[in-house]
Amino acid sequence: MMALDAPTQPDRIVLTGVSKTFGAGDKAAGTVALKDVNLSVPDGAFVSLLGPSGCGKTTILRIVDGLILPDQGRVLVSGATPKPGPDMGFMFQSFRLIPWSTVRGNVEFALAESIADKAERRARAERYIHLVGLARFIDNYPSELSGGMRQRVALARALATEPDILLMDEPFASIDAQTRELMQIELMRLWSARQSVALFVTHSVDEAILLADQVVLMGPRPGRILEVIDVGLDRPRWSYDVRAEKRFIELRAYLWDRIRTLVLIDPESDFFGRNLGAAD
Amino acid sequence: MRIAFYRLIFLAALIALWWLASTVVERNLVPSPWATMLAAGVLISEGRLSTALVDSISIYLGGYAAAILVGIPIGLVMGTVRPLGKTLEIFVYALSATPRVAFIPLIIVFLGLGPQAKILIIFLGAVMPILINTYAGALNSDQELIEMARSVGARRQRIFTSIVLPGAVPFILVGLRVGATIGLINTVVAELYTAVKGLGGLLAIYGNTFRMAEYFVIVLTLALIGVIVTEALRYLENRLGRWRRSDAVL
Repeated sequence: MMALDAPTQPDRIVLTGVSKTFGAGDKAAGTVALKDVNLSVPDGAFVSLLGPSGCGKTTILRIVDGLILPDQGRVLVSGATPKPGPDMGFMFQSFRLIPWSTVRGNVEFALAESIADKAERRARAERYIHLVGLARFIDNYPSELSGGMRQRVALARALATEPDILLMDEPFASIDAQTRELMQIELMRLWSARQSVALFVTHSVDEAILLADQVVLMGPRPGRILEVIDVGLDRPRWSYDVRAEKRFIELRAYLWDRIRTLVLIDPESDFFGRNLGAAD
Repeated sequence: MRIAFYRLIFLAALIALWWLASTVVERNLVPSPWATMLAAGVLISEGRLSTALVDSISIYLGGYAAAILVGIPIGLVMGTVRPLGKTLEIFVYALSATPRVAFIPLIIVFLGLGPQAKILIIFLGAVMPILINTYAGALNSDQELIEMARSVGARRQRIFTSIVLPGAVPFILVGLRVGATIGLINTVVAELYTAVKGLGGLLAIYGNTFRMAEYFVIVLTLALIGVIVTEALRYLENRLGRWRRSDAVL
């Protein structure tokens, strides 16, 4: 009885039996993006969603953010039905900066809902722009920035509301390899300072392991969760060569093998039925 | 700067060609540039040009302003409320394909030959390109940016003012420019078909009496108005499109 009075919610994000079909009002004709997905993300965890294209990784993020509703199943974020807003920061794959606003304007755009005071909003935006190292470009327009700089603006915008949950959809997919590695470290530093929950979608096995406490392996058509793996590597991970760790190498080999198999048996994949030198 | 120089050279070439035409074409149908300038001097000193100019410009601006005030809001509403836009667009396109001159007799029946009729004729010409381009601009709004705005918790009204509307601005400006040109054409049309007044009126008078030097003065005045209006709109375009400027560099 006492337990019922105070329901504890140890997990920040809980998906129960979530399914989602896109296209055509007729369910049979549409694409099944997600089928019976169950996922619990504890407070303070960094979780990578890993899998080949078409396995519904992005759909999970949009459902968790409350941008779209699942057809079936239940979604609880901080114990309630999710609603988009400043308590969740969303970082999109294609940056999605407002081209006619400056760096400052773009970051302040996210703050308008949560901070009413103009001066305070300005100060907050400046702090986060400074944090991602773009102070010098604060009054520049996105078209004047490089891809990596634009991504940092998007990061500043997602972090500036100081959200409890950070949702990231392949944020580093379209920037060059070097910038990408630096951004990964940057992200780990910023995240470790605040320890919010992070859901990070990626195609990259290395990135998934490097950043996360848990790697959620997903499969395509229909999008579903296949396995959840604890990474168990020490933090902070920028303080040593994670990629040289035995655990990292094992995980990497294992995940690669699983993904390769998934792609080879997927009739919709470009590599369907090819011999790509699978281990067995 | 170099472009300005080229333009001057081209203008000089045009004037030379004009002068050549005036000497070759018989029966004084093409006045010489010099005769045209003299005629302009007379028209200005007699105050006839300025009277006509005030007449024409006041109805032009009246009709054009009405077209802006009607065209932009309707275009935006049609672009934002999709079922409404889909319902109305076929009628809008039908109306814009109809030659507006066809309405003139009807307009005269209802409004007479005065300025109201003229302003309506100008309005009808200018409103369609403004409305259609605004509609296209609102439809073209960036769905990804709208989703981003939703994800930070922005409400409909804020999404409209900070994403949809600014995104439509380049389209709206194109509409304004096309509308300004058609509005100017319709100003002359209106002045020819209704009470003969203003620049169009002078055009009719001098054309019918073969006073070609004066006639050319009016034609050039109309061209000048066209240039001034489109250049003003281009200036506005550059001001509003500052964020775009560096695209060329990347």
